[in-house]
This record gives sequence, structure tokens and C-alpha cells, in this order.
Amino acid sequence: MELEKEDIQGLMVRGHGNLTSARFLLYNCTDPKGSCDFLKEITPLITHAEEKPEEEAIHIAFTYEGLAFLNLPAPVLNSFCREFKEGMSAEQRNSVLGDIGDNDPENWTWGNDSIHFLLMVYAKDQAQLDKSMLRIKEQTDRCGIKLIHTLPTGLLQHQKEHFGFRDDISRPVIRELLKEAPPETATTFPAGEFIMGYKNLYDEYAPAPFVPQELDKKEFLPYHPDYPERKDLGKNGSYLIFRQMHQNVHAFWKYMKEQTDEKAAAIKLASKMVGRWPDGSPLSLCPMQPDSALSESNDFGFWDDDQAGLKCPMGAHIRRTNPRDHLVTEKSKIDSTEMAAKHQMLRKGRPYGPPITPALDPNDIMDASEDEQERGLHFICMVTDIRRQFEFVQNNWVSFHKFGGLENDADPIIGNHYNNGKFNTDEFSVPNYPIRKKYKNLPNFTLIKGGAYFFFPGIKALQYIASHD
Amino acid sequence: MSTIHRGLTVTVTIDEDKLSNVNALLFQFRNDLKTNRDQFEKSLPGTFFISWLTLPSQIYNETERLPARIILMTSYVGDKQEHLNELVDFLAPQLNQVFGESHEFPDNYKGKADMLNFLNKKSVANTFYSGFKFLTTSDVAKEKELKSAVWEHAQQLNATNDASQLSPSYIKRQIEDFVANNPALNWAVEEIPFARQNKIQMLLPLVLLGLVMATSIICIVLCFFIDALFVKIMAWVFPLFVIIMGGLLLLLRQNEKNPHMASEELSDEEIRKIVALETHPVLNEMTVIAPLKKGWVRRAFLFVSLKLVNFLTYFTYIPTVHTARWLQLDKGKRLVFIANFDNLSEAYAHDFVDSEKRTKNMAVIFSHAFGFPATRWLIHKQYNHRSKYMKGVRAHQKITQFWYCQNQYESVENLKRNRAFREGLFKEMDDEAIKKWLLTI
Repeated sequence: MELEKEDIQGLMVRGHGNLTSARFLLYNCTDPKGSCDFLKEITPLITHAEEKPEEEAIHIAFTYEGLAFLNLPAPVLNSFCREFKEGMSAEQRNSVLGDIGDNDPENWTWGNDSIHFLLMVYAKDQAQLDKSMLRIKEQTDRCGIKLIHTLPTGLLQHQKEHFGFRDDISRPVIRELLKEAPPETATTFPAGEFIMGYKNLYDEYAPAPFVPQELDKKEFLPYHPDYPERKDLGKNGSYLIFRQMHQNVHAFWKYMKEQTDEKAAAIKLASKMVGRWPDGSPLSLCPMQPDSALSESNDFGFWDDDQAGLKCPMGAHIRRTNPRDHLVTEKSKIDSTEMAAKHQMLRKGRPYGPPITPALDPNDIMDASEDEQERGLHFICMVTDIRRQFEFVQNNWVSFHKFGGLENDADPIIGNHYNNGKFNTDEFSVPNYPIRKKYKNLPNFTLIKGGAYFFFPGIKALQYIASHD
Repeated sequence: MSTIHRGLTVTVTIDEDKLSNVNALLFQFRNDLKTNRDQFEKSLPGTFFISWLTLPSQIYNETERLPARIILMTSYVGDKQEHLNELVDFLAPQLNQVFGESHEFPDNYKGKADMLNFLNKKSVANTFYSGFKFLTTSDVAKEKELKSAVWEHAQQLNATNDASQLSPSYIKRQIEDFVANNPALNWAVEEIPFARQNKIQMLLPLVLLGLVMATSIICIVLCFFIDALFVKIMAWVFPLFVIIMGGLLLLLRQNEKNPHMASEELSDEEIRKIVALETHPVLNEMTVIAPLKKGWVRRAFLFVSLKLVNFLTYFTYIPTVHTARWLQLDKGKRLVFIANFDNLSEAYAHDFVDSEKRTKNMAVIFSHAFGFPATRWLIHKQYNHRSKYMKGVRAHQKITQFWYCQNQYESVENLKRNRAFREGLFKEMDDEAIKKWLLTI
């Protein structure tokens, strides 16, 4: 089925890498009617997937609380999935997401308070961004909409993240976006994994919010393909997961230095934790030293020659977030690949805060003195099934300290590390000959500072939300 | 003697109006467990898991009301009578209080002998799966300590210059010497008790079934040459089995054409009540009890399937599952499924629906339950298989009021790896095998 790009928000298909300045704005509405007026005004400005913006791009997404505030009818609100309705900071989600202890929503700077919607504003430079911000401020003020939090972003050199590692290499490819049919061996995903209203890997339409047909009086929405009496509010939309992740760069490299006796060994240990060298080359393909020719390599697995994790440890970050073709609990490469494929996410995050050194070379970062700057990553991903995709990965692969037969190892980079006397998750084990090495007492290298689940609607759905009776 | 892991299921009917009393009692026991867990572990040395719950009445075939029940499900190692004795010795007052609410409980209950008699009488057959065959409860802690002590000791090998040059056999010898000379660990020098008996006992029924079928096939040929009654009777066994299974399958196909009826979805609030009990960082529990889809063929097919699965449990593999069991109640009209598994139920359920192969395996049993996805020829999926499977599980998931698990800390993979390490100790291996074995530490 062809993608209806004019109805899909553009962030689904591009990250706006050319628009280097961006800001994420979190708002609260004070008056449903004024808010709907604002939505009617902003809808034509929302960047759709057919556009290739050179100056500015704007996207919008809503929390459940926001949709409820806009007085969407109860059957519509009820049709959203339970995770979205509860919200990321709800108590029920905390244990699933590992948001306990240091990461408890009580300690967040946002996301534990009321938020109605998110505007994502991208611009070609700071001047353009300032201009866009002024225009938006005028519109929101006029409609009685309050800006609650402003989250700045800043792209880093060489597509790195703050620890100094190349990021954003492994991305799922949406089959329907390819101009030519992909080779059989290529790993691609049906659009329905990330965009509602299309078939997913189960050959089903993902569960999506809907509007009883009698409530779509202005006929904004298409009919749901499975249920003729429903209008498909989810069509061309997605769930957007947003987590602001503070990165403690100094603590990260301090730990590596303390565990080793020289910089090269510290970098090697950090690379074992990540699963790639700082330049991005994967340990699975070059376990002894980085190979810049492989820095964008994504064509590798673990089943054939690294089941034991001697090259890339089982607990390494990239192996946990995407086990590719090897899961310890599976009996074959095919089964592992099938299982891993069903838990993919479309990542669209951006770093924030100044780099600790301009080039983010780990050798320099280790020498840099500690500062008080706030820096990290705005983790953003799109999924059609919050539970199956984002929460499953976060819970079962990232947080569960028994992942892959491990004993006390949460994800070394983004896991929540603790030791409460009975249970501990703060180890990192590296298979080694003759005997496995275990690194203990890992501090939390990342901390969650805020987060929320959003509905990222298609353009027609946005028109319905803005103009529903 | 054996250390085979088995499941005991005891169930009685109860008046619906007494359910709240029993629920309160079971929740009280759950709270008590928090403060006297040590006592449980000491007094129930052969018991791995206890799930104790009430089941409200359910409707079968749109009209028939199936009775409310109390269900006690335990898993234990070794002999059933010993396990019952262990349960009664420690839990007699609680058993008495809970089962005493049922009219099936003896009026003239006097003591232990009556309770044992009652539990025996009310226990029902189940198909049981264990993810860690042949481990005892004490093995769990001992094997963990053994591996941990060896790892600590072996750190000096890592610290040796050129540790990578040390030969695998040298390293293995060093480890074995350490174990043999350490009074706290040298129990591991002995062979694992009952290893051979366990295998024989588990495989015997399958071997016997195979022999009967093979004999039958041979007898079919012999019929042409020998005119003996035994040969004639035996010659009918295999064809009859095939005819019955084939006939059941054809009838099942007819039944599958009935329009699919969805279960009423569980409210978000009900789901929250269930997941609120999933608080354990390593293991959790799930109980799913559903009436079957209408038609006797569903009951018959499920009965035969469960019996056949019983023969194969030695070879069955269900990832992340410590124990699972399936059984039919109320003349086969209800399917009971219970699992103790690693992590949370959402993750656990995905282990099945994410795999096409496992979805087919699960369909052999779950496709007969009301609200679960429609199938074609038992295992082939129809549309919206995945979402309907997940909804079916949630729609029939029950709150387990009392749950006890002896092992709180080790995942199935941990248990298997600890056992693999112990099995490799003092065993002849070549260098490649030793290198693999060292990775279990």
C-alpha cells in the first residue's frame, strides 16, 4: 500500500538533519476553544512527509491529557491504548520502564506535571528559529496557551552523542519508502510498524485510536479497514515517545579510567559497553581496534561467530537494544531475527547541551575537567504499539538484569543501576578467556529528566482534533 | 527416587457467595508470606511454587454456568506423597481455613490423615512443563554459590601474566582442584544424583508409546503371515490411532467454521489490578482460565492434545518459563493455564505471539479456549491472530491471590547455566569444549 505522504507528518520520514537548530516546546491549554483555534491556525504550517523543508519544519503531538482537555468524545479517548492513557510517568509504567530510584518521575524536571501538547520546531539556523519562535509565541499567547517547558537541542559534530560515540547508525528502513524493491536479504520493515493505518509485521493493522462514524460529522477521517463502522483517527499517525536523558559524561569516563590503567584500555572498555568503537565501527566486525571504513556498518549479526559475546558482550548497549540475529532464549538464527524484528523503533532524537570538547574525541574528554553544564539526549521514537515496541525493549532488554542469561547487568549505558542488597543491576560482564570479567558498582551514566507519551497525528486527524464538535 | 519436577493441582467447587471470604484469606496469607518467608523456605524444602486462587463461575457455550472454584497449584521435586505431607505439615491450618469453605471439604475433618486424604482425592491430572528439569530447591542456591566461589577464585587466573596462554585443561584442573579441596564446595565432586534415573523415568512413557505404535505397525505386516489374536488386535492399534486423530481433526475443522466470538475485553482497571501484583524483579506468575469454545470435539481434541504433550515434555522448550501447566476442569469445559516466568507478563506473552512457530504450538492448546483466535486446521492462523491472542490472554487472566516462589533471584537461563557449569566439573572434555564450559562461569 502506498504511503499517503501528504497526510503524514514529515518527521516520520526524515530527521531534518539540514535544519540544524531546533527547539521542543511543551504547552498547556487554558481554554479548549482557544486551543482548537490555535490548532486550526497551525495545521497548515505542519510539515508533511511530501515536503523537503529547507527553512523550517513544525510538528505537533498530543498527550492523552491534552486530548481530554480538548474535549474529544469519550469513545475516542477510550480507543487509545492503555499505556498512552496512563502516561509515561504513571506508577504502573514505572516498574515496566525501570523508572525507579534515581529515575523516579518524582525527580524529573518535566513530564510529572501537566502537559497537553508538544511542538517541535526545526530551523535552518538560529535566526530562523528565533523568527519561528516569535511567530508561535504570538499565536499561542493569543489563544491562551501556556508554554510550560522549552527544551533546546544542539547537533554535535560527526553525528556523535555526548559520551563521544558515533550515534544513529542503525535505523529501520520502511519498505514502502524505497523507490525500488529491496533485495531479499535487506532488512526492511512494513510501514505499519511505525505508521498507523498500514499492515505491520503480523500482517495486521496495528491497534489504533478511532472515532465512531457518527462523530466525524465533517468527514475528516477515512474509514478503518477492519471495522467499517469506525473512522480511523490513527491513520498516518503514530505514538511518539519522548524521554529526556541526561548524560553524565564526566562520571562515564571517570569510571572507565578507574577500571583501567591507560586511556586506550578505558576506550576499549567503554566500547565494550556500547558495542561499537567511538567512530561507530562495530566490535562484532573489528573486535581488536576501530576500523573507520566500518564506521557506518550496520550489516552484521551475532549468531554466526559471536554467540558467546567474546567480541561484543551480550550486555553491550547495541546488543540489548537490537539483538539482531541472536537471542539467548531462541534456538535458531531465524527465530532470533524474527523476534528482534518485532521490537524496532523509528528513532528521531537529538542531543542537547554543549559538547564537553568540540570534537568529542574520548582522549580529550577524559582530560576535560568536570563542569556543571546540562547535556544529554532527547530520545524520540515513533511506534504503532507502545507496549510491544518501546516498552518491551526498555523493560525486557534494557532494564531486565537477567537479559541473555546475565546475572546482575542492566544496560551499561542507559540502564538504571542499583544495588538494594537483595537485587543488583549494576554490573557489566565481559566474556573473556580464561574467565569472564565483571565490572561492578556501575553508577548511572544517564538519568531520565523528563518524558511523556504523545499521539503524533496525521494531518487529517489533526484537522479532526481541531474541529471536532 | 528421582528429582523430577512435577505439578500438583487440587481443586474444589465453592459457592459463589463465599468467594470474597476465601479471597480475603488468601490475600492475608500473601501478606503473611512477606514476614515469614524464611519459615516457608525451611518448611517446604521440596516445593518450588505455590499458586492458590479462587475462580469465579464462568459461562460455557453461552448458557451453561461452570461453578466457582478454589484451585491450589504447586510444583515440587520428587514424590507426590512426600510433597503432600510437607504441605500439610506446614500449611494445615491455612488449607483447613480455605478448603473448609467448600462443601466438598469433609465435615468430620479430624487432622492430618483426613487432609491428606482430601488433597489426594481432589487432585487432578495436569500436563506439566519445567524449564529446569531435575534441579532441587537446594541445588538452586548451592549451584549459584559454587559458581560464584569459582569465579572469585579464578580471578587470580585473569590476573596472571599471559593468562590467555594458559591451556584450557590447565585452567579446568585448577578449578577442579579448588572445588575438591574446599570443604564448602566439595559436594560438587560427586555425580549429580539420579541423573540417569530422572531421564529414564521421564522418557519411559514416550518410549512405551513408541514401542506400542511400532509393534502395531509390525503386526500389520505380520497379519499377512500369522493368524494370531494378539497380532490382529495389535495391528488395529496404530490404524485406530490415526483414524481417531484424523476423524477428530476433520470434526475440528467443521467446528472451526463457527463464527469467531470475542471475549469481553478486560477493563483497564482490571488489568491494572492484575499487573499490580507483578512486582517481583525477576520472576512473576500468570494464571489464565477460560471456558472452551462450544462443541464436544473441542474438549476431546484438547484432552488428547494435552495427553500427547505430556509424553513430549522432556523435549519441550518454552523460553523464559520456569514452570507451566495445562489442565481441563468441569468435564473438560474449562482450560486452566498457569506459568511462572522471568520478568513481566507483557514480555512473557510476547515470547509466544512474536514467533510464528511458537504461535502454532500454542494454538494446539489455546485455540480451543473461548475468545482466543480462530484457526484453520488447528495451527494455521486467521486474521488478527496476534492482537486477538493478546486480548484472549488478558480477558481470561485471573488474579492469583496467593503466590509463593522458592527461588526469587535466578532466571531460567541462570539456573541452566549454573547446572551446565556443575555438570562440566570433573568431566572429560577436549580443549574446545572446555573453552565453552568456561564461558558458563
